[in-house]
Amino acid sequence: MKKRRRDLTVMQQLARGPIDIPFLMLVVILTVIGVIMVFSASYPTAMNEGLSPTNYFFKQATFGGVGLAAMYLISKINYQTFRGLSVFVLAISIILLVLVIPFGYGRSTVGAQRWISLPIIGGFQPSEIAKVGVIMYFAARLSKRNTQKHKRLPPRHPLSGLYAWLDEKGVLEPIPYFVVLGLVAILMLMEPHMSGTILVLMGGASVLFAAGIRLYWFIGGGTAAAAGLFFIMTQTSYMATRLAIWKDPWNDGMNGRGSGFQTIQSLYAIGSGGLLGVGLGKSRQKFLYLPESENDYIFSIVCEELGFIGAAIIILLFVLLIIRGYWIAVHARDRFGSLLVVGITTLTAVQVFLNIAVVTNLIPSTGISLPFFSYGGTALMIQLGEMGMVLSVSRQIPAPKQE
Amino acid sequence: MAERKKGNRVIRQRPDRRANRTILVRSLFLMAIFGLVAFIPLFVKLWQLQISQHDYYQDLAVKQQTRDSTVTANRGTIYDSKGEVLAMSATVYDVQLSPRDLQETLETYQEKVEDAQENGGKLPDYPEPTDQFIAENLAAILDLEVDDILDHLQNKDSQYEIIKKKIEPEESEAVQEFITENHLSHGIYLMPTSKRYYPKGSLAAQVIGWVNPNLDNQGAYGLEAQFESILSGQTGRVVTAKDGVGTELLYRFEDYYDATDGSNLTLTIDSTIQSYCESILQEGVEQFDVQNGGFCIAMDPNTGAILGWANSPGFDPNDPWDVSDPVLLQYLEDIKSGEYTKEEAYEKALAEGASTDEAYEAAVSAAETEVLTTQWTNRAVRLSYEPGSTFKSIVLAAALEEGVVSESDHFYCSGSATVEGWSRPISCSYKPGHKDQTLAEAVANSCNPAFIAIGQKLGAEKFYDYLEDFGFLEPTNIDMQGEPTGGGQIIWSRENFSNVNLATASFGQRFQVTPLQLITAASSVVNGGHLMQPYVVSQITDADGNVLQHTEPTEVRQVISEKTSERCRAILEKVVDGGTGKNAAVEGYRIGGKTGSSETTEDDHTIVSFLGFAPADDPQVVILLAYDNPKPAYPGANTTADGWYISGGNMAAIKAGELLEKILDYLGVEKSYSETADVMVPNLTGLNLADATSALKKNNLSIRVVGDGDTVTGQIPANGASIPGGSEVVVYMGAEVPTDQVTVPNLDGLSMDQAKQKLSALGLYLKATGATEYGANLVAYDQSIAAGTSVDRGTTIEVRFTDSTASGAGL
Repeated sequence: MKKRRRDLTVMQQLARGPIDIPFLMLVVILTVIGVIMVFSASYPTAMNEGLSPTNYFFKQATFGGVGLAAMYLISKINYQTFRGLSVFVLAISIILLVLVIPFGYGRSTVGAQRWISLPIIGGFQPSEIAKVGVIMYFAARLSKRNTQKHKRLPPRHPLSGLYAWLDEKGVLEPIPYFVVLGLVAILMLMEPHMSGTILVLMGGASVLFAAGIRLYWFIGGGTAAAAGLFFIMTQTSYMATRLAIWKDPWNDGMNGRGSGFQTIQSLYAIGSGGLLGVGLGKSRQKFLYLPESENDYIFSIVCEELGFIGAAIIILLFVLLIIRGYWIAVHARDRFGSLLVVGITTLTAVQVFLNIAVVTNLIPSTGISLPFFSYGGTALMIQLGEMGMVLSVSRQIPAPKQE
Repeated sequence: MAERKKGNRVIRQRPDRRANRTILVRSLFLMAIFGLVAFIPLFVKLWQLQISQHDYYQDLAVKQQTRDSTVTANRGTIYDSKGEVLAMSATVYDVQLSPRDLQETLETYQEKVEDAQENGGKLPDYPEPTDQFIAENLAAILDLEVDDILDHLQNKDSQYEIIKKKIEPEESEAVQEFITENHLSHGIYLMPTSKRYYPKGSLAAQVIGWVNPNLDNQGAYGLEAQFESILSGQTGRVVTAKDGVGTELLYRFEDYYDATDGSNLTLTIDSTIQSYCESILQEGVEQFDVQNGGFCIAMDPNTGAILGWANSPGFDPNDPWDVSDPVLLQYLEDIKSGEYTKEEAYEKALAEGASTDEAYEAAVSAAETEVLTTQWTNRAVRLSYEPGSTFKSIVLAAALEEGVVSESDHFYCSGSATVEGWSRPISCSYKPGHKDQTLAEAVANSCNPAFIAIGQKLGAEKFYDYLEDFGFLEPTNIDMQGEPTGGGQIIWSRENFSNVNLATASFGQRFQVTPLQLITAASSVVNGGHLMQPYVVSQITDADGNVLQHTEPTEVRQVISEKTSERCRAILEKVVDGGTGKNAAVEGYRIGGKTGSSETTEDDHTIVSFLGFAPADDPQVVILLAYDNPKPAYPGANTTADGWYISGGNMAAIKAGELLEKILDYLGVEKSYSETADVMVPNLTGLNLADATSALKKNNLSIRVVGDGDTVTGQIPANGASIPGGSEVVVYMGAEVPTDQVTVPNLDGLSMDQAKQKLSALGLYLKATGATEYGANLVAYDQSIAAGTSVDRGTTIEVRFTDSTASGAGL
């Protein structure tokens, strides 16, 4: 033993450090609950489709099991490796995002070309990989920003003074990131995939923010986003109808049977849950009332079956996971680790928030799945993979000094 | 400076305290936002939805998730007093198609055919269930249009297309057979539902009422409406869960509430007495050319129980919208032919700018509505009328009770009387005047001046007190729908009850009461003075036969004494026994009563009535029979086209006599005969002449011998026959008994002697009924066996005689 340990480098020894048990436990608990809820929520849909009632459940459970194993394996990898991989992941995801436009599918079912089918892996959304790719690449690059060489224009260049000034004020620094983000966002909007775009932007922005990009970018960006959102909401008819339905789902021109239907059914499910819920497995709304009850709207079924108490406990588990994520980030051994974990954690947090906000009609509806819960094998695996990265970072947290 | 160890390719960042600190601070900031702040609104929103608005959303959700189907409770049965069923519910079926299921059935069939063709199996041995095939067959069974059924079948998504409701058992059996034969059990359904049957048809229709099959079999009229909540029972519910497309989730059974069957009513009405009342009423309507129908109530005076309650025109509650009464049909016919328009509706439609055609339509539809309302209405409880002379019985009772008159008093009638406060003399119905008469004679003559005098003796105050005591100012509170809350009377208030009003009220005119009030009051006059509360429902039992409610006779108050009542009975018996009501007399029964002819505001519109009770010494039944508006032969005439004098004594009394006889017979009241009463012919065969003669003599019969044998070998009439006392029995001693039949002659219009002669010539016997003992003007108008019928010798023919003398109006 001693001999072997001596053979290991410091880095290798660090990579074999103890995993963060609270974070691991939270992920496992959420995944298990999620798979159980998929079973409960999906069997009426499965039966209606003429499938075995356990069809969705078995698939999801398999992906969950494989995903957890993958998470553990990834956590064993020294996360420094991800630095080098980040460029490739980003490049692959951009290529896939391009390929999805001619070769993808999904237009006939959801009206957007979001899925692509690959041998062995099966169908998945390239946007899921793009999120990780962006975060990995940004974290890798931004962790070295203090060592980055500042380019200078030739002194004789007429704009060299302005350039130097802009550089000093941090105006120029994020521009390459914006280019990457912009490219990914445009590709995703072409699918179109509004909610995925929001998540990529939020994930990327959180890394940029944590890395120390000047605050005015975020203030300005936030203001611009708000203004843009306001413009879209008030000036375009597409969003205007969405807003109207958000304010009153019954006012969809078909008395709640049109585009407000899903929201209404979600509210019925959540509302009829009450304090304690109707009981696990006893949801009535999943019987072909609530569309996508096993997917984007699974949390409504959770609320109906487990009540306010159950829903609150699950949100609390997510909150703990997120806080633990940030805890790992601030304790990470280096800035790459910190930024990587901040990005992944923020991405998860935003996704959880947006999903629950949508199903409760707190915000206008947009299709965002709930991590660990929504049905979807590859999405679950990618999420668990991301968690594996976080755990990998957690292994290298230096042990507190003994007094 | 990035430290780069080429050997193991680990890239190290340059330590940078400032950069690390930035990441720390900003990460903590993100943690605060995304780990805490962002989730607060989610908790708030969840709290709102799940706790604050829980009930609201749960209600909405449950509403869409459950199917609430009702379990029909069986409606209670209505029985008459003898336990005969008057109204009952039975299960019938609605025919329901499910085009969606039928489509699947068709697909199954086609799959079978394909399968058979591919694998060489057997083809189905029943026809292909195409829409056309189904529509044609069902149309044939259910008497529907093929196209209509095809229209229903076009709604491919529908599961509930009811093509015919409440089909008869034969039809449902045929449909069931069709379903079985053609394997259509997935798609054609027979849905059980309930239908109300009235086995006795129009019998007591206005009393029983009817249920509206279009409104969930709710009681619409009569007792069916009045006792709706008791009869209908408690509808049960099955609440089942269903999924988003409407399929029932049977294993998610939610709740079941049993249906409680309705309770049963037992009425005081006796079907037999009811049918007597109805047939007598209807006969009279036809006989006297009555325009506005009539009513006939039979009541047990001692309890107030209604035994029979007939209204004309009638209808069949099995199909309440069908008009079958000939008078009503004629009226509708007249309106439609434009002979008389329904003026009000016609003018109104015209005023609203309708064309004449539309106005005509409006008039016809108004007439139809009116006709339906007329036939449904139980007029004897709802409508009021002028009681006329029948009311004199009440005045008599009051006067006797107060002691202002007595049997020994004499009244003089000059043909009219003057009343203080009224300029013109009030004339008597008998213009020449009845001259001097005793109290009993005055009643028997129905003399108006005499009753004006009696009224004056009573005085307005006392008279009004008795109006109150006899219940004319309040409803009778019978357990029936439709009694006017004020009592229905149109009567003066006490303050306005002037002397002139007193005079007219004394002979029953210028005010109105309901028939029910009158018969209730009259019952108290003859039953010993007890004003009883009338009732028709004697008992309510639940579905298991437990008695829930039993109606005991209720005495409202004692109005007059037993003694006064007895005196009234005696005087009123004289009305039938030779007075204006003599046509109501029935051989063998003691009948009392009072005739009446009520005036109305219309010209030539009289309501003739008879208020009778029997037996006079111990009344078992009181009847009030009235015909509304016998049609005069010509305007102003006082007879009908058939020559019937329009008055209570000449119309209602005749029919009332027949009715009372039937009822008393049915009630088992023994006839008490005089010497001409019927006797039983004893068995004489084998007796010698002396024994036969004495046997006959004992039975008040005489003997005529044919043949010269020693013993009796035959007799006419046969042993056990009933013939009028004093008749001759032909005894055959060795001679052959003739067995040929004789033809009954027509006796109409003959006097009693003529009729007797004509019959005995043929070996037939006469039994006279009706007004047989009074006056010289008796003529036969009805015979029990119609002329032309062949009967055995020795048969008794019952002949009803009437006094054809016109006895004046206002009787």
